[in-house]
This record gives sequence, C-alpha cells and structure tokens, in this order.
Amino acid sequence: MSEEAKKNFAGALTARPNSDEPKPAPVPAVPPKKVIIKSADMIPDMQKEAVDIAVAAFEKYNVEKDVAEQIKKEFDKRHGPTWHCIVGRNFGSYVTHETNHFVYFYLDQKAVLLFKSG
Amino acid sequence: MEGAEEELERRSKFLKSLIQKKKTIEQQEQHDHLQHNNVRVRACDMPLPLQSRAFRCARDLLDSMPPKKLDSKRLALTLKKEFDSSYGPAWHCIVGTSFGSYVTHSLGGFVYFSIDKVYVLLFKTAVEPLDHS
Repeated sequence: MSEEAKKNFAGALTARPNSDEPKPAPVPAVPPKKVIIKSADMIPDMQKEAVDIAVAAFEKYNVEKDVAEQIKKEFDKRHGPTWHCIVGRNFGSYVTHETNHFVYFYLDQKAVLLFKSG
Repeated sequence: MEGAEEELERRSKFLKSLIQKKKTIEQQEQHDHLQHNNVRVRACDMPLPLQSRAFRCARDLLDSMPPKKLDSKRLALTLKKEFDSSYGPAWHCIVGTSFGSYVTHSLGGFVYFSIDKVYVLLFKTAVEPLDHS
C-alpha cells in the first residue's frame, strides 16, 4: 500500500498589532499667568488691553525696565501721551493720574502700575 | 578805549572764577551731604535745592520708621505731597527695593536715588488745566 506523504504547511502567521508602541506625549500647555487687578480707574476694555500688552512684554523681555518701556510706549501710541509705567516685585507708589487712566495689577509675582499724566 | 576793554576783560574773568568757585563749593557740599545721609544719586535732572529737599525728607522719614520695616507707600506719599505743595503739581513717587520703570518727566523734574537699601523715583509731569465746560 502506498503511503501518501503528509504535507504539513505551517499556517500563515497572523500579524499581532504592536499595542505596546508608546505614543509621543502631547506638549503640556503653559499655564496662563495669574492676573489680579488690584486697583483700577480705567474702562474694562483698556484694562484688558494693558494686561494683554504686559503678558506679551513679559514673554519678550526679562528686564523690568524693558517691560515697562514696552507697555508705556504701546499706550502712548494707542491712547496718546503721556503714560508712565512701573514694573516690579517690591514697590509702593503715590501718583496723580488723569481720570479713567490708571490701573495697578499683578501678573504672577510682578506688579504693574500704568497711568496717564501730563 | 583799550583801558576800558582790559577792565571789562578783568571783571569778566573775575566773575567767571567766582561762579566756578561757588559751583565747586556747592558740589562739595552736596557730596558731603550725600555721604553723610547714605544717599547715592543714580540718575538726575533736577536742581540741587530740590534734590537736597528730597534726600532730607526721605532721610527724616526713614529715620522715624522702625528699623527693618520699610513703609514704601508712606514714603512715596510724603515725598509726593511735599513736592506738590512746594513746587506745584503734579509729582509722582515710587519707592521700593525691586522695580523697573519707564516714564516721561518735565524738564528739571526727575531724580532717581538710593538711600540705605531703598530706591526712590521722584518725577514731575505737566498738569493740563481742567476743562471747566
């Protein structure tokens, strides 16, 4: 009797998905700066503008004087002269300002004083 | 005529030397004053008498405060009010140990100095009359 040769083929391997592959972690968003308006005699829109300009200035400059310069010049340009700006961690102040043109706020640990006079 | 010209020249030189001598004395007095009160001028556009006034006012108030207890706002208020009443409005004053600034001031109305470990910025701006309409 003839012996039929057994043909044994290995089954095609099923590709197993590599679920262990790590995905690149999403870049964590920079937490927004904490804003506290301490004192204001200024219309809300202008206050927001001051804060926005200050945030941008802090991102661009490290030296307080440069931040103050940027803010003052931007306000001189947008709302007419003459504005004055003080930026820092530790200071007290006493100033005379035009009505509706004064704001004093904190961006994290830095205080910003912006007012119009003269 | 030549005699008259020579006389004028002599008097002119004498007056110039007198002015220079007075200026030198004033500067020396100012320097001594600053040393004595531990004051250092960082930037200035202000007549000497006003400077001295600011330094004396700051010195007196700091001396009256408890040691190691700086009241920045009170010093700022005191200086601003004294200058407003003595030299006309409007003066502005910033006092602290850590701040930067960018301001526009009137001619002759600006001084930035340190006294002890405190920095003082005192400046004047022009005041426009209120519109009484």
